Amino acid sequence: MKVVTGVVGNDIHVVANRLIDLSLRARGYEVFNLGVNTYLEEFFDAVVETGADVLLISSLNGEAEGWGREVKPLLTQYKKLDDVVMMIGGNLVVGRGDPDEIQRKYKSYGFDLVCHQIDLNTGLDMLETHLEKRTQESNA
Amino acid sequence: MSKSVEKLLIDVGSTYMKVSTSGHVEQHFRDFNQDILDDLVNKCGDTLKRFEKDDVHICSSANGGLTTLIIGVTQSFSLKYATNIAFNSGINIIDTILYQNIEDYSVPSEPVDVVIIVGGIDSHSELFSDSLYCYLEQLTYSNIVFVGSEKDAPVIKSKIDEVVVLPNIIDNRLHIVEEHLKEYLTNLYQQDIEGKEDIKHLYDITNNQIFSTPYIVNKALPHIDARFAVVDPFILLDIGGATTDIHYSKDLVDENIVTENEYDRLVFKKLGVYKSRESLIFSAKDNEFVYELLMHLKVTENILEEHSKRATKILMQLAIFLVLCKTSHYRKAYINLKLLAINSIVFTGGITKVLNQEEVEDIVAFFYKKVLTSEHKPRSIIDNNYDIWTLGAKELEACQ
Ligand code: B12
Repeated sequence: MKVVTGVVGNDIHVVANRLIDLSLRARGYEVFNLGVNTYLEEFFDAVVETGADVLLISSLNGEAEGWGREVKPLLTQYKKLDDVVMMIGGNLVVGRGDPDEIQRKYKSYGFDLVCHQIDLNTGLDMLETHLEKRTQESNA
Repeated sequence: MSKSVEKLLIDVGSTYMKVSTSGHVEQHFRDFNQDILDDLVNKCGDTLKRFEKDDVHICSSANGGLTTLIIGVTQSFSLKYATNIAFNSGINIIDTILYQNIEDYSVPSEPVDVVIIVGGIDSHSELFSDSLYCYLEQLTYSNIVFVGSEKDAPVIKSKIDEVVVLPNIIDNRLHIVEEHLKEYLTNLYQQDIEGKEDIKHLYDITNNQIFSTPYIVNKALPHIDARFAVVDPFILLDIGGATTDIHYSKDLVDENIVTENEYDRLVFKKLGVYKSRESLIFSAKDNEFVYELLMHLKVTENILEEHSKRATKILMQLAIFLVLCKTSHYRKAYINLKLLAINSIVFTGGITKVLNQEEVEDIVAFFYKKVLTSEHKPRSIIDNNYDIWTLGAKELEACQ
């Protein structure tokens, strides 16, 4: 299973990105880490070039919201990305925010899994459950 | 111990020919009614006679270069990497096609020298389908090369006649791999030069391979401080009759493409003062600062229609200005160089015979002030004795 990951926008918080890279590898994923300061187009382009199954975006510094709104308009320009699992995590709003409201908002932006201030391992467990469910559905 | 033998170095440009022996450079205007060899023999016959074929080294920029069309699956990786490699091999890119939208692109009417197809890391596959082959059927090209996913190579080979398959230019970490495609393109360029009838005749006077001039200049760059008081970082502008080349060190580019070469090169095919005079004027008229520049030089735009010494000077000055614009943040072009960080600008090529130090510095200062709104003043260094080219040719000879 291939995963493209990185930190979106002008965000330089690198610690989580390194941990995500290590944890994904430890769980057996093939990881394409674009690192910090990555633009949405580069994320989508990396999925096209690698044939990745999952796009896992981090955002820590408070920029997530702005980028989130760009996701759908940009995705419509790509013809082959419909099956990719889209996941985002980190600090998805400035300050605290209502978790349910954040979930709803980012799902409307086009994300399948939304992990606002959720610990990494919990988030990666959610990803695994999601992928298993998807395989079951497609087999059924 | 090897005895050092005097060498004869010859550069055949689109406008001038230069002939250099130890310590002496002579320069002649090309006579286009004559074959290059005849022209050379007529003008420098006595010098030629003094040298054995082994001691004559020739380079040429007279062929104007090859054209390429690149088809890739994303802007950020395949197209960007292939574009980078093509530019650095001195190839002119006529278009880039984003494969998923290939049906929306028109097919260029003129023949393309080489088509480059790229996409996907090696473990990915099925990136291309019938729409690619349909497009190619309508296109006229001389060479075609595939540098995408190794898993796709067999299908590509079975569908496209005479396709050359090379290792992927995108590695498994999504980084660029330059060398194979670069070598292929450089060789094509080389073959193109050698294949020109005119150039072939030059083998009557040399036993050595004839190289492209930009290649030679590029070779000289790491050693440039042997001849000039150049302060790093620097850029080098080679402004000639048909093209303008800019050579720059990698650290001047924002792009984070990591490659092995220290110096890159960009060719602006349509910026020259003789052969591509028309397109130079066209790009000048398209630039919002140019009228102000002409005023600054105390001329009107009528000068662009004139054919005089004064007009050539102005065109050379415009060429400097336009190249700087094209590589600055003011115009989003293929690259943006950190022009505020450079300490020297080295000028070589035909320009050094037309403009003096003051006239060059005037334009550089105008550019920095108007376009970059800065008082920054990099040093202008004028290579009026073709030292750079001599240095490059010697460097190459030493490697052989
Ligand atoms: C260290 C740090 C910096 C360093 C970064 C150094 C570096 N290169 O990494 C420096 C000083 C440079 C910095 C700068 C800034 N920072 Co700062 N920084 C921090 C700090 C203190 C720690 C971040 C860290 O490394 N944590 C350790 C890692 C392991 O934890 P983490 O990043 O939270 O990631 C975990 C989870 O979020 C999760 N996770 C992350 N991504 C994803 C994705 C998925 C899918 C999942 C499931 C989980 C997940 O996994 C990780 C492990 O559990 C935090 C505060 C804090 N205590 O969190 C602020 C913080 C992130 N910074 C903040 C801000 C505002 C800034 C600046 C804008 C400050 C400024 N005004 O200049 C700049 C922005 C710079 C930029 N361009 O990005 C804010 C963000 C506010 C927001 N989003 O609401 C924070 C939260 C501080 C605060 N409380 O205000 N910062």
